[in-house]
Amino acid sequence: MRTHGTSMLLARLLVLAALVGLGVADPTVAPAQERLRVLATLPDLWSITRALVGELGDVQVATRPGQNPHDLEIRPSQILLVKRAEILVRNGLEEDAWIDPVIESSGNPRLLRGSPSVVEAVRGLPVLKVRTGAVDRSLGDVHPSGNPHFTLDPGTAPVVTANIVAGLSRLRPDLAERLETNRRRFLDEVAAAAQRWTQTLAPYRGAPVVSYHDSWPYFYRAFGLEEVGIIEDRPGVPPSPQHLATLIRQMRERGVKVVLVESWYQTDTPTAVARAAGAQILVVPQSPGAMKGTDTYIGHLDALVTAMARALAQ
Amino acid sequence: MRRHRYLSLVVWLLVSSGIPTTSGYAQDADALRRELETLRRQLSTMTQAYEQRLNALSDRVQQLEAGQAPATQTLATAPPPKPLTPSAAPATTRSATPAAVPTPPPAAPASAPPVAVAALAPGAVAQAPAAQASEGPTLKEMLTPRQPFALSTPGRTLLFDIGVSGDFVADLTSARVERRQEGTFPGQENRFIPREVELSLFGRVDPYASAVVRISAGEESSTNAPASRDLNVNLDEANVTLLTPPLGTTARFGLMRPRFGTLNTVHQDDLPQVDRPDVLTQFFGPEEMDGESGLEAFWVLPLSNYNELSVGIFNGDNEVAFGRGSLRKPLVMGRWRTFFEFEEHGGLQLDFSAASGFTSDNQRNTLVGLGAKYKWAPSGSGFPVFTLAGEALAGFRNVSATDAGPSGARHLERWGAYLYGQYDLNRHWAAGLRGDWTELPTAPGREWAISPYVQFKPSEFLRFRVQYKHTEGTGSVERSVNEVLLQGTFILGAHPAERF
Repeated sequence: MRTHGTSMLLARLLVLAALVGLGVADPTVAPAQERLRVLATLPDLWSITRALVGELGDVQVATRPGQNPHDLEIRPSQILLVKRAEILVRNGLEEDAWIDPVIESSGNPRLLRGSPSVVEAVRGLPVLKVRTGAVDRSLGDVHPSGNPHFTLDPGTAPVVTANIVAGLSRLRPDLAERLETNRRRFLDEVAAAAQRWTQTLAPYRGAPVVSYHDSWPYFYRAFGLEEVGIIEDRPGVPPSPQHLATLIRQMRERGVKVVLVESWYQTDTPTAVARAAGAQILVVPQSPGAMKGTDTYIGHLDALVTAMARALAQ
Repeated sequence: MRRHRYLSLVVWLLVSSGIPTTSGYAQDADALRRELETLRRQLSTMTQAYEQRLNALSDRVQQLEAGQAPATQTLATAPPPKPLTPSAAPATTRSATPAAVPTPPPAAPASAPPVAVAALAPGAVAQAPAAQASEGPTLKEMLTPRQPFALSTPGRTLLFDIGVSGDFVADLTSARVERRQEGTFPGQENRFIPREVELSLFGRVDPYASAVVRISAGEESSTNAPASRDLNVNLDEANVTLLTPPLGTTARFGLMRPRFGTLNTVHQDDLPQVDRPDVLTQFFGPEEMDGESGLEAFWVLPLSNYNELSVGIFNGDNEVAFGRGSLRKPLVMGRWRTFFEFEEHGGLQLDFSAASGFTSDNQRNTLVGLGAKYKWAPSGSGFPVFTLAGEALAGFRNVSATDAGPSGARHLERWGAYLYGQYDLNRHWAAGLRGDWTELPTAPGREWAISPYVQFKPSEFLRFRVQYKHTEGTGSVERSVNEVLLQGTFILGAHPAERF
């Protein structure tokens, strides 16, 4: 009897181990017709993908909203997110290159670069500020393939959403039609909002502005603002006094009113520059979700445009 | 410079061919004079022709440069999308110099001619010099300093990453400590030490695997012969990670730093302080457990929070802890690591490790480690960052009768630990304090140390540290040591993102 009980216990343990080993308890091997499990590397891609997926699935993001992706360190919780996802939406430039070692540690080879389950949002977009000539670290922590903050121009939404929907549909053809419907609705909303944003910033077309970090070229292009200079002229490296002096002189000459600062940077240097040049700093989140009411792509750009218009009006 | 070259060529041709021909009429001075005058005229004509040619080429270079400058700022990889309203606004780009006044280039229409698009691509830019190659280098090319070495150029992509890290330290202490070689780097006190310069090559092997190769060189001092300091080159790592084994497992084989404890996988230049904590150097040696050859598999468990399990089998080549070096009696180790994400309140990582193998005199040695690391960073700027981390290690070691010592004990149980806290004020400045306490793994005695330090990082790729360390030892490590440790590290090229 005792032997029988031990055998039963062992048998149950073996069955349990087999179930766990075969992935029954593993959410990564769930049946195909379940909800989409999408992981976006960055909050802007997360907000766009969420609008496209809607009720069809869950969209997670690998970075916390408001977190500087340049100072990112790999956390084990990100490995878990990657392991659970069935499709990855990534920027496609170097902005989220840190995701590669995370994927390699996750045991989820479906999300390795080059896999059909990986969407690169940048594909087909003209990229600004591609470095030419010799590129090395004397230029700072530059993005050699170009500026990756393209979602700040709503005009890129058709291509970005097309890439994402194509990737999701590749994985789940049964959802393709509904995803495309969501995409059309989202683009209509963005187009309507873009008209509003353009009107809001129309009085300031050509206004000279200065950035702390080189995050905004697409935003400036979209709304006709003119970038006079960047405080952090070499990304990740404190600016030299000579550079700041030159920039302040240029700001005075051009009548720059606004210095745009991402909310994850400390404001002492931009404040000093703005004060010296007779401008003001405008601290805004560079990606959605960092402020209340900016979880959506449109909500985030709404906040940016409104804040910029208010700052330029002063 | 080019002009001189042509003139020299002409003169040389004339001297080598013309003058010997005219030497046949040397008796006739007038004839020679006329011939000389003719040559002068020819030379003058040719010089003028070359000057005109040079001027024409210079003008052409200037025209080409003027025409290309704005085009190189953007890359059109495909026809632009159908624009929404904002994209219809005039495009604003900047020149390569960030502070430069921007010029609004015309927005490329969707049906832009392919020539215009091609002219914007890096490959097209790279073709321009090639087209002129038949005419020799331009003036600007001759005046531009050449890059001595380039691994990857537009259109020629390197298929793996290369990084070089350099780690230089100095151990400043008293003459007494130097004489007795009691410092943190025995035999290298009061010296600048190239501790490790490491060449890393890493990338994907194929769709199923990635690989890393690390070769390092560093100064190693012999405590028996302090004057003898060699720069040794070692193969630190050469391993392949299999990315697609079944059941979500990842496997690694080759020469590696095994997954044991918290700091064993961390390279010398990435340590949180200048030196590796005392307990780790006492139980494993100055570089902890590096250079083990074997096979390791790890698995992220399908649970609600992060749990990673790894198991490995190795030769057991570490001479301090093991040293048997044979798969007949292998070193077997495993680690369980978990992580709790507290969102706004930081993250906590816990690890539990065990390793069991045999020493060179065939005695079993088992080590058990427990590590914890807590890190808090606010949302927004991400600074300041507060880190609290520590590790405890216990050793259970059998010793031979000859090594049993006065007590005659054949089984030793020793342990040690370290704990440090670090405060990162911003991305450039940090300060911290580490405490060490450890017994010795085989000899009688124990030691403790306290180490405050300051760190400055001008950028992500350059770091300086100053660390003061006071150590007190008893027993076979009887000593009282004060040291100032200096460190400078750099990273050249590719470097993976930092881990928690």
